[in-house]
Amino acid sequence: MNFELTHDQKVLQSAVRDFVENEIKPIAAKIDEDHMIPDELVAHMAEMGFLGSYFPEEYGGAGLDMFSYAILIEEISRGCASSGVLVSAHTSLCANPIYAFGTEEQKKQWLPDLLTGKKIGCFLLTEPDAGSDAGGTVTTYRIEGDEVVINGAKNFITNGGYLGTGIVLASFDRSLKHKGISAFIVDLTSPGVIMLKNEKKMGIRGSYTTAFALDNVRVPLKNLLGQEGKGFSIAMDTLDGGRIGIASQALGIAEGAFERSVAYSKERKQFGQTISSFQAIQFKLADMYARIESSKLLIYKAAWLKDNKKKFSLESALCKLHASETANEVTHEAIQIHGGYGYIADYEIERMYRDARITEIYEGTSEIQRIVIAKQLLG
Amino acid sequence: MNILVCIKQVPDMESHFRPNGTATWFDESNLAFRMNEYDEYAVEEAVRLKEQLGGNPEITVLSIGPDRVIEVIKKALAMGCDRAVHIQDPDVASKDSWQIASIIAAYARGRQFDLIFTGMQSQDRGSAQVGVLAAELLGFPSVTTLVGFAYADGVVTATRELEGGVKGKVRLRTPALVTCQLGLNAPRYPTLPNIMKAKKKEIATFQPGELSSEPPLTGSTAFRHHEKKGSGVVIEGDIAELVEKVIVILKEKTAVLR
Repeated sequence: MNFELTHDQKVLQSAVRDFVENEIKPIAAKIDEDHMIPDELVAHMAEMGFLGSYFPEEYGGAGLDMFSYAILIEEISRGCASSGVLVSAHTSLCANPIYAFGTEEQKKQWLPDLLTGKKIGCFLLTEPDAGSDAGGTVTTYRIEGDEVVINGAKNFITNGGYLGTGIVLASFDRSLKHKGISAFIVDLTSPGVIMLKNEKKMGIRGSYTTAFALDNVRVPLKNLLGQEGKGFSIAMDTLDGGRIGIASQALGIAEGAFERSVAYSKERKQFGQTISSFQAIQFKLADMYARIESSKLLIYKAAWLKDNKKKFSLESALCKLHASETANEVTHEAIQIHGGYGYIADYEIERMYRDARITEIYEGTSEIQRIVIAKQLLG
Repeated sequence: MNILVCIKQVPDMESHFRPNGTATWFDESNLAFRMNEYDEYAVEEAVRLKEQLGGNPEITVLSIGPDRVIEVIKKALAMGCDRAVHIQDPDVASKDSWQIASIIAAYARGRQFDLIFTGMQSQDRGSAQVGVLAAELLGFPSVTTLVGFAYADGVVTATRELEGGVKGKVRLRTPALVTCQLGLNAPRYPTLPNIMKAKKKEIATFQPGELSSEPPLTGSTAFRHHEKKGSGVVIEGDIAELVEKVIVILKEKTAVLR
C-alpha cells in the first residue's frame, strides 16, 4: 500500500493548481455573479486537456488514469465549483458512456470533438417527474426506418446550455419501466431540441442547469448507445463513475473553504489574540481536517479500484456520500470561523457554502447513496 | 543546436521555515517544493527558441538533488524539454555554489551545448553565482538578469536589467550562458497531454561524484529567524506631556541623555 502520489500525479496536481490559482480563482466570484463561465475559460481548459482527461490519445484524450482525474476535479473545484462540475459532468456523464458503451464508429464520430472541447457534453436522464426514480422516465421514442423519433421533457441538465452533445435516455414502452429505456447520442443543435431555460440556482451558478423539451427530435438509429432496452443499466453504470467526480468536486470545495479558514484564523484578532489560539476554533479546524482527509482517502480508493479494473460501485457511493456531507459541514463551519465576514460575499466563503449544497443532491442524493451502500452490505 | 537548461527545486516560499538539526539550513520536512521561479523563465525561453527554430534544437534539462527533484524535471519535460539529466544528490543543500557549478560544468563539458539557460538565482539560497561560475568554468561568455532574448545565426542579443530601471543590451556569440529574470516571459502551463507525453522522455541519472568532487569554497554557519522586535509604544497626551514621557523613556532605556 502506498499513500503517496507518484511523481507524475504530483506534476499534474501542481500544474492544475497553478492554472486554477492564476486563471480560475481570480474570476470565481464573477462566474458566480454572472451565472456563466466565460467562453475563454472553457476554451483555455480545453487547451489544457481538462476535457479529455482520462480517455486515450487516439480519440483526443490525455490518457490519464482515474486517480489523476479525481485530482483534476478536486483542484479545479478548490478554486471554482462551477468549473469543476462542468468538467466532471462533461467527462463522466457524456464522454464516458460513449467510450464505455459506444461502437468504434461512434467513438470516432463523437469523442474527438468532446475531448478537445469543441462540444461540451451532458447527460439527459432527469425529468420533471423522474429524478431518483430513473425507471419512471416518460420521454419516449419510436423507430421510423433508420431514424429514432424522441418526444418528452428533460430538466436539471448540467451543461445543457452549451447545446453540445447529449446522452438522452428515453423509453419505447413505459409499461416496461426501466427495461424499456434506451440511450441515444444526440446532437443538441438538432431540430426539435428546445432549450426552455437555464435555471437560477442557490449555488454552482456558473454551471448551466438546463430544461429541455424534446419535440419530435429525429436521430439516426446508429446513434443508439449500447443495446436497446439497456439504457437504464448504462445510466446506472455511468452514475457510478460520475460519483467519483462529484465526490472530488465536494472535496475541492471543502479544501478551498478549509484553507481560507486556517489563514483567516491566524490573521483575525479578538480579545488581543488571533482566534486560532482559541480552542473553540482549533477544535473546528481539527474536525474539518479529519473529515477532509477521510473523504480524500475514500475518493482515492474508489479511483484506485476503477484504475485497477475492480468493482467500485460501493466505494464510489461511499466517497460521494461522505465527501458531499463533508463539503456541507466544512463550509458551514468555515462561515462560523469567519463570523460576519463569512456571511458577506467578499470573502467568498458564502459562495462555497452555497456551492456545497448541491453535492448532496445531484448524481444521486445522499439518501440514494445510502440505499446503494446498504444494498451491497446486505446482499 | 544543442540547449541545456539548469533548474532547481525550491520550497514554496509561502512555507513556514524552521532551522534544521544543525541550524545551518532549513528543515525540509513538511515543505511543499516547486520549480525555482527564475528557472521557469529559463525553461520557457529555451522552449520558445526551439519553436522559433522549427523544433530543431534538442533541449536537455538538468537538475541536482534528491528523488523529489524528478517532479520539476518532469514539469520541464512537460513544458517542452526533450530529455533530462538527474544528478542524484540527497545532500545538495549542503553544497555551495562553486560545487554545484563545478558539477554542471563537468556534465556540460564535451557535450557541445550551444546555449545554456538558467535562472538568475534560486529563491531559497539566492547566491546568483551558479550560472556565472559554470560559464566561467566552461569558458563561455555569459550575461545575467535577462529580461529580453533574441537569437539569430549564432548570436544572442540579450536585454538585461540594470539598477534603477535601466536596461542594457548585450550581444554574444554562442556557445554562451544566460541567466533569466522576472519579466522575460510568462511560462506556459504544462498541459495534461504533455504531462503524459513527458512520461516517455528519457531521464539519465548521474552521481555527483562521477562529475566533480570539488571541495566547497564557502559554507553556511547558521540559519535562524530574525529576532523578534518588541512591539512599539504609543504615547498620548499634549505636547508638554509627550516631551516629558519621551525624555523619561530616553533616560531609562537609552544612553543618549547620560
